[in-house]
Amino acid sequence: MRFLEASIESLGAKITGWFAVGYGTFAFLGRALLLLLDRTTWNRATFDVVVKQVYFTAVQILHVFLGYALIISWLIVTIILSTAREFGLTEFAMEMTIRVLVLELLPFLTALFVALRSGSAINTEIALMRVNNELDALAHCKVPPMQFEFLPRLIGGVVSVVALASLAGLLALLLAYLSIYGLSMAGFEAFTRTVARIFDFRIVAGLAVKCALFGLAVTLIPVTAGLETPKKLFMVPVSVLRGMMRVFFAIVAIEVLSLALKYI
Amino acid sequence: MTALGDDVARVAPDLPLRANLSALDNIALIPLYQRHYDAADSARQALAMLDALGHATIAPLRDPDMTPAQRFVTQLARALMLRRPRLVIDRPGAMLYDVPYPDFIRRLAAQPAMSGTWDIYDFSWNQVLYPR
Repeated sequence: MRFLEASIESLGAKITGWFAVGYGTFAFLGRALLLLLDRTTWNRATFDVVVKQVYFTAVQILHVFLGYALIISWLIVTIILSTAREFGLTEFAMEMTIRVLVLELLPFLTALFVALRSGSAINTEIALMRVNNELDALAHCKVPPMQFEFLPRLIGGVVSVVALASLAGLLALLLAYLSIYGLSMAGFEAFTRTVARIFDFRIVAGLAVKCALFGLAVTLIPVTAGLETPKKLFMVPVSVLRGMMRVFFAIVAIEVLSLALKYI
Repeated sequence: MTALGDDVARVAPDLPLRANLSALDNIALIPLYQRHYDAADSARQALAMLDALGHATIAPLRDPDMTPAQRFVTQLARALMLRRPRLVIDRPGAMLYDVPYPDFIRRLAAQPAMSGTWDIYDFSWNQVLYPR
């Protein structure tokens, strides 16, 4: 009986904890969105920090990311093409490639790439700022941390994931064309027709929203996880661990939701 | 101490610098965000403040690369940049452990550009360090 009581208590505490984290994250997002609508937010200083964030998150890693996207795309395109040839379904290879690579796999991998590189760094930095009282020092100097530290990271994350996923998608399209038709222009009309058929307004809007949500997840969750860190140095790794687990679940949830909306 | 009002600028061990910014950027944040100067103007003002304290050479250093005295000067410059009527230096011994600190603070306060009220809050057992 005692065991049952303890289990129910522990489950209740966990569920309450999840709700508290969810509420905290969405409340923070609400505050950030309200600040976005405030005219005074859009000053030169904030813009400069946003540009710096986009540089660190997307531009600095561009060559590595494009190399990685190229290898993944080439592998997937080759697998799809050889399988399609084997089953005599070559005419569907292009559509299959676009649907699997450009709409699903590359945005998902981009989000994972940015989460592992920038999300973990953001989580660690915010947690250390909190533990070292740097946020209190900014508040004492009346420098708004939301405007100076958090909002630029959120905007930088969204812009970076959307831009990187778009670039990777374009690269995959080019690679798919070259793999199927080679350097000849003979298949260009059929190729553009397939692309146009797949990328109707609903799909493009859905892809943009999905990438934006990925970008938000890989920055918003690490920021809020960092802010939750108790003021003890040994809690920083725990904060990063929790933050990155939440990022992973959020990315998977967004992907599953997007697939369900598209195909079910 | 943390309950002091908004008219007080504090230099204290619990108000550290932003670790990933240089001394110059830490000070330039104030004109940039409070008085909406552009980045170049804010940097110029920050450098002028460090120069007035006789430490312009520490401008490019980040917190981990500074000596305790250099860190203190940066924190002091940041506090002075706030242009509040009162400046409180809280437990200087906890920040200035590499220099004889009452003399060091006295020398900084004696710089021609310095003015206003500077208060030092220190432990009672350090009273002997401050001649009446």
